[in-house]
Amino acid sequence: MQPTRTPTLDKFLDETNNILAVKNGQQLQSYLIIEPPFNDLYNSMISEIRNQYPKGKEEALESKCQRALPQAQEDEDGSSWSTFVKFIANYFAFIRDVDVKNLLDTYNLLSELQQKCNSALTHPMKGLVILPTVIAYARVFARLAIGLDKRPELIADLVTHNSFEEDGARETLPERAANILRNAFVTCLNDRGTTASGVKDGKPDGKKVGIYTLANLCLKILFQCDKKANAEQIFSNIYNQSPPLSIYPASERVTYLYYLGRFHFATNHFYPAQLALQAAYDECLASPSSLRQRRLILIYLIASNLILGRFPAATLYARPEAAGLQERFYPLCRAIATGNLEAFRRLTDLSHPHAPWFLHFRIFIQIEHRCEVLVWRSLFRRAFLLAGVQGDNVSRRAPTLDLNDVLTLFTYLEKRALTPLSQLDAGPGRRHTNWIFMSSDPPADAYYIDPDFAGLPEEFKPSLRLPSILEMESICSSLIYQGFLNGFVSHKLKRFAIQGAKRKGGALAAGFPTPWDVIKAKSTEECPGWKKDEAVGAGRFGAGMVVNLSGARPVGAGTFES
Amino acid sequence: MSASAQGSSSTTKAVVSDAKNGDAKEIEKKPTQLEEDDEFEDFPVEDWTEEDTQLPSGNTHLWEESWDDDDTSEDFSVQLKEELKKVGLNKQG
Repeated sequence: MQPTRTPTLDKFLDETNNILAVKNGQQLQSYLIIEPPFNDLYNSMISEIRNQYPKGKEEALESKCQRALPQAQEDEDGSSWSTFVKFIANYFAFIRDVDVKNLLDTYNLLSELQQKCNSALTHPMKGLVILPTVIAYARVFARLAIGLDKRPELIADLVTHNSFEEDGARETLPERAANILRNAFVTCLNDRGTTASGVKDGKPDGKKVGIYTLANLCLKILFQCDKKANAEQIFSNIYNQSPPLSIYPASERVTYLYYLGRFHFATNHFYPAQLALQAAYDECLASPSSLRQRRLILIYLIASNLILGRFPAATLYARPEAAGLQERFYPLCRAIATGNLEAFRRLTDLSHPHAPWFLHFRIFIQIEHRCEVLVWRSLFRRAFLLAGVQGDNVSRRAPTLDLNDVLTLFTYLEKRALTPLSQLDAGPGRRHTNWIFMSSDPPADAYYIDPDFAGLPEEFKPSLRLPSILEMESICSSLIYQGFLNGFVSHKLKRFAIQGAKRKGGALAAGFPTPWDVIKAKSTEECPGWKKDEAVGAGRFGAGMVVNLSGARPVGAGTFES
Repeated sequence: MSASAQGSSSTTKAVVSDAKNGDAKEIEKKPTQLEEDDEFEDFPVEDWTEEDTQLPSGNTHLWEESWDDDDTSEDFSVQLKEELKKVGLNKQG
């Protein structure tokens, strides 16, 4: 018999076959390493492959693998695991060709390997043994995709030439990477070789053990590359098909709930966002090694709660992960609590020194838009404190507030927000000495005219966009409708009348319910995407799901970004 | 043959960071205007118990739900009162 020219490769295949026979997934993964530097055994194997199976000899390599792996050949039931043979042949080609100095080539090679590995995973009986390898590769693959997305100069060529789908929609590199990983995720989710519930002895059964690890890697890519909208399908799939989240390891639970919370936040579902983020925060590891994760969760949790009318307490700001957050969020809380529309406008102006920070975390616009309503509510309340007419129990007259007084305050504060100098005005007795010489009129650039009308005669002069009495009625009605004010508007008298003052122990308590209580009462505790234990959570078709997770689409097909 | 010495559970950053080392200038070019990265990193351990989530300070009272401010003597309210008075006088006049 002729001595073999590939002794190391032969031995490697032989041992791989033994591992397949005993179904040791961890050991298989520890053999099929992909990143240099390789040890001597791998280096001799690589040079054997380069000599005997250089580029172009892939078919011969595959035949060799086929012969050397009886475990992947025909089974008693007649099925073979040809996808594994294709995968391992590709693995050898990968370690033969990979050059990590070239990120893009590495990415392309790994992309192919990942897909072959995913295919091998789909085998209904034998696929499970390769799951640890799929996950190990997916971690590297995700990081590469994110790394490349941050260096557009490396992928410019790829983006221009190869990234158009049949319908002309552009699919970016990270989206494609997420799609590849999602295939593995779906294979795990759809594993039929498990118990009906996918749970065995309180743990995920079969390939279902990989659901959240792979989902989290997809989500990491989509969030890092700002393709959040494409995450919807993952959440939707999990909500419909996954075993309960609670039986998975804490790191997977917390990571998943973080992304789920951020997804709800980005899609303006702040209550479920708060539910997921609060759980992520509560279940997060308390050690200093997880400070960065705790901080990220907390930033989005505070932003969600702020919008829902819940402010951080001093004890929260004092925590190490909250370092510096008080100076960002506390001024907003004060502006909301006091109804200081002027301060709120300045704090949510793009020119504010804190604006880049809020924009960086993508919480700026949500806070600006959603918290404004709470400022309105507090300003109505302040107007009532300063100028409201208390009711009379004897004559049964309801407490009322003149909307013209509210208009006075809105106009005053909006005007000041438009006037830079007003910041120097700290009120009577505390003003700058030159105050009387300063103009309190808003500067010229605060005046607005639609560009179409600019330069036209008299009646089309630029004007300040200041509130009107009609707007006060509108805001008042809107606040009543949302439950933040309790009463009714008299259009004729231009007054807001508070209902139930006697019953609820005073006009303030009756007319201005606590926002958090109002929002909580209107919300459900079900968080779409969060698979709870069957006994505790709602069924498969929770009410919220129709609203929040409808219209699932494949990654890359979306035309909007959140 | 044993490859376990190389292990590959910690592959997360290996490939990319190796490659980046070859191109240190690129790293310097990366925008670092914000001190905070928004990448949610992998946890150092896979699983932990409820006890491991408890902070020494405890989990009591982290959120304020009743934050209405009834003080009308501070500067802000004084300014508003002044404005209401001014506008009221103008109307009467």
